[in-house]
Amino acid sequence: MISLVDVSKSFDGGATFAVRELSLEIERGETVVLLGSSGCGKSTTLKMMLRLLDPTDGELRVEGKLLTELNPINWRRSVGYVFQGIGLFPHLSVRRNVAIGLKLAGWEQEASRQRVDEMLQVVGLKPQEFGNRLPGELSGGQQQRVGVARALATDPDYLLMDEPFGALDALTRDELQRQMLDLKQRLKKTVVFVTHDIFEALSLGDRIAVLHEGRLEQVGTPQEVVGAPATEFVRDLFGKPAKQLAAFRDVLNER
Amino acid sequence: MNGESWWEFVVDRLPELWLRLGQHLTLTGAAIFLAVLIGIPCGILATRWPALRSSILASVGILQTIPSLAMLTLLLALFHRIGAMPAIVALTLYALLPIVRNTIAGLDSVSKDVLQAAVGIGMTPSQQLSMVRLPLALPIIIAGVRTAAVTCVGVATLAAFIGAGGLGQFINRGLALANTPLILLGAIPAALLAIVVDFAVSAAGWALSPERRVGRSEQKFQTLQAAALLVPFLVFGAGGMAYVGSSPDIVVGSKIWSESLILGHMMADLIEDATDLKVDRRFCLGGTMICHGALVNGEIDMYVEYTGTGLTTVLHATSANDPQTVYDTVKTSYEEQFAVEWLPPLGINNTYALAVRKDAAEKNGWRRISDLQESAVDLTAGWTAEFAERPDGYLGLSKMYEFEFGTVVDIQSGLMYAAVAAGEVDVIAAYSTDGRIAAYDLLLLEDDRRFFPPYFAAPVVKQATLEKYPDVGRSLLKLANILDDRTMQQLNLEVDEHKRNPEEVAREFLVKRGLVK
Repeated sequence: MISLVDVSKSFDGGATFAVRELSLEIERGETVVLLGSSGCGKSTTLKMMLRLLDPTDGELRVEGKLLTELNPINWRRSVGYVFQGIGLFPHLSVRRNVAIGLKLAGWEQEASRQRVDEMLQVVGLKPQEFGNRLPGELSGGQQQRVGVARALATDPDYLLMDEPFGALDALTRDELQRQMLDLKQRLKKTVVFVTHDIFEALSLGDRIAVLHEGRLEQVGTPQEVVGAPATEFVRDLFGKPAKQLAAFRDVLNER
Repeated sequence: MNGESWWEFVVDRLPELWLRLGQHLTLTGAAIFLAVLIGIPCGILATRWPALRSSILASVGILQTIPSLAMLTLLLALFHRIGAMPAIVALTLYALLPIVRNTIAGLDSVSKDVLQAAVGIGMTPSQQLSMVRLPLALPIIIAGVRTAAVTCVGVATLAAFIGAGGLGQFINRGLALANTPLILLGAIPAALLAIVVDFAVSAAGWALSPERRVGRSEQKFQTLQAAALLVPFLVFGAGGMAYVGSSPDIVVGSKIWSESLILGHMMADLIEDATDLKVDRRFCLGGTMICHGALVNGEIDMYVEYTGTGLTTVLHATSANDPQTVYDTVKTSYEEQFAVEWLPPLGINNTYALAVRKDAAEKNGWRRISDLQESAVDLTAGWTAEFAERPDGYLGLSKMYEFEFGTVVDIQSGLMYAAVAAGEVDVIAAYSTDGRIAAYDLLLLEDDRRFFPPYFAAPVVKQATLEKYPDVGRSLLKLANILDDRTMQQLNLEVDEHKRNPEEVAREFLVKRGLVK
């Protein structure tokens, strides 16, 4: 379980806040989506969970232990992280990229190789075909699959994903989302998933945390946030696509 | 070249060319190796602690701005020795800037996303450096090493000036003798070498580069990679072998003009003829202090010095007029101070003398140096940088005769005779044994206030060498009083005007006198 208690983060010594008094609990095995437009503080929140950033105020706990008291290197190694903008190492082959976490954990080469190929298959890439390529020789979707395979390789309990599919075209994104759902059900990880895409949030999240200007507007299941929006912002956020959908249906009905 | 084709010219000098190439490669290779060893960690430090960055960059930048010759001379003074060591240090200092700068630029060029991924995945700072930042910076670092290597090959041509050998030896000798083919014999291989070294470094860079292409089998690639990595080792290794394989028993030095070269060759020839010792001719060592320093430090075993030069430039004594007094003074002082022996003089007095064109002398009624006093302000004088600064040169001369010339320019000794003959300068400080005085129809002005001390040429040899190889001393004694000023003028003229090889001229003379077979 990851819990955030009154977490705030300011980058300018307290004049403005990227995240304000955020409290949130992520239960073991569930997928929580942090949803919001750019600048709402969702990526900052995720980076604090990975300890790439430390909060200005408040505290984060993992299984009850203060995150600041854990060794940051060990903590990061125990987490699977999928980066915004992919974040593969351009000088390493696909196999070496996926293996990097295993290498840091000191796996044997043979075991590591097997694990890497297994992970590539999980994300739908043929190891023989793609294993020796450089990231630059892959399409955006393929690169992102490698990123997911890398995050899964060490079999982490927690998976932190920062807009992993944001830069992809709609079709590829659809397919990866479907695969993600499948993985989620099979692997039972605790997942924190950051996105600005409402449909992605609705399809992947067990619960959705809506963030706006650094504040938490509402946390709830997809049914709750759509059916019973707690604030004006949440109502507007989910209301807009509903209206668009209605307009779409009207056009269809007129034919 | 006297009918000798360029092909013969090169073939004749091939063994020496190979040796000099080897020295050149050893100097550059060692310097680049050291510069990489120092430069890359400096670059890493600079990116790790930004506070250090500007001071590191500034210091290597300043090093780069020191003119190469000044740097070499500075290190010479610092280490009190000539040869490979100060040269390698100088080259290393020059190679630092491109390597440090490119290391910093390369490490900086790694994108933020990639760096964040490295941190996020749980790498320690040193793992981030070794697994991500350095491999990604490598192409830029290699580019810096290539720049450094090419610079080093160029600057290393100056290393001959301080007795480190290398291709600059040919260039120096060519400059001293105004012999263009000799200059080219140094310059062209140096240029080609720059290309080879550049290729060798980039081959290593390719082998280390992570950008491997797909489709090629891994094994084939690794073979290719190992082969590419070997290239620089082969290139520099071959050079090193040529260098090490040439370690001599006796090193003969010389200054940077024809007479010194001819006399140096005579000594070397006599020793080679009388003994089985391996003799290296490390000639054209710049000025007196470089030769003297080399002798005292054991970099060379002997060279031909002039009594007046020993007295004033080395011992800093006031000059005297009596040749025997001067010789006795330098002989005792050298023995006491430097453990160096002055052998009997060769019989020539190569004193400085002011020379003018004969027609100008007739027109102005110049016969003695004092005659120049009235028109001196309108005259242009040209002489070597050494004469300009020596106490027994222009400094003392102007004091003794109480006048100075209007304009003074520095000219290479090999070029000043032609310059005065062509009217580019009016007065030169000629050497009285120079054959070009007669050839260019010049007049030596009488030293009416007896300013110039006698400059009798004699071999100066380390006492330790004479003790170790008694045959060497014995064979050199054959040179006592073998020459006179007129003979020396003719020998010099053969080299300076007829562009003959000093080695050949020296040998011819020795054979004619029956001193060698």
